[in-house]
Amino acid sequence: MRQYETAFLLSPKLSEEETASFITQMADVISQKKGKMIKEDRWGKRKTAYPIKRFEEAFYVIFLYEADPEVPYELERRFKQTESVLRFLTVKKVSRENKRKKKKRMPEEAAPALESEGLGEKEEAKENLSPDETGKEEI
Amino acid sequence: MAREQRTERSPLRRYFPPKKKFCRFCQRNVRDIDYKNIDILKRYILDRGKISPRRVSGACAYHQRKLATAIKRARLMALLPYLEE
Repeated sequence: MRQYETAFLLSPKLSEEETASFITQMADVISQKKGKMIKEDRWGKRKTAYPIKRFEEAFYVIFLYEADPEVPYELERRFKQTESVLRFLTVKKVSRENKRKKKKRMPEEAAPALESEGLGEKEEAKENLSPDETGKEEI
Repeated sequence: MAREQRTERSPLRRYFPPKKKFCRFCQRNVRDIDYKNIDILKRYILDRGKISPRRVSGACAYHQRKLATAIKRARLMALLPYLEE
């Protein structure tokens, strides 16, 4: 099971009922294939940055779901068949935390530049840890 | 034009080294840049709709790569323009 995010644009020509029914249909595809919908986002009609098929606006829908890899394929197959879908995009979500770990400094790089300074820094860090000196200064 | 600017710049540069840019994404410790977050992406496109180069954006190589793909995805979904007239 993997997390995917599928966004698609629907033609503004569709009526509200038609868009709603199409979206629920697509959501059903996910649930039928034992996927789990995490978030269903409907941005609604929004102006597009450039005309698509001569439409100046489109209905934006975003699905965030957890499913087997066949599900996005199935969704995309259906998007291709229906003409009212203007665009679609599926992105694989990485479940890792959205934070980047700081790279450990390569020892070769750090060593020549900070031979003396590096040692000094370490000592300073120790001093900071032990409260006796800093405490004296404060008094 | 370009030549004039250069000649104007160079003596200044000697005395005022260019301000060091830093990666704003590294600063905030971001890993992935979402293509739907247009407000952030808009800051990194030029007025013609081009992706700003690293020397302008100041992003590190890692985040410039992520930024470029995010902008390209946003363009596909008509959130950002391919070119602005």
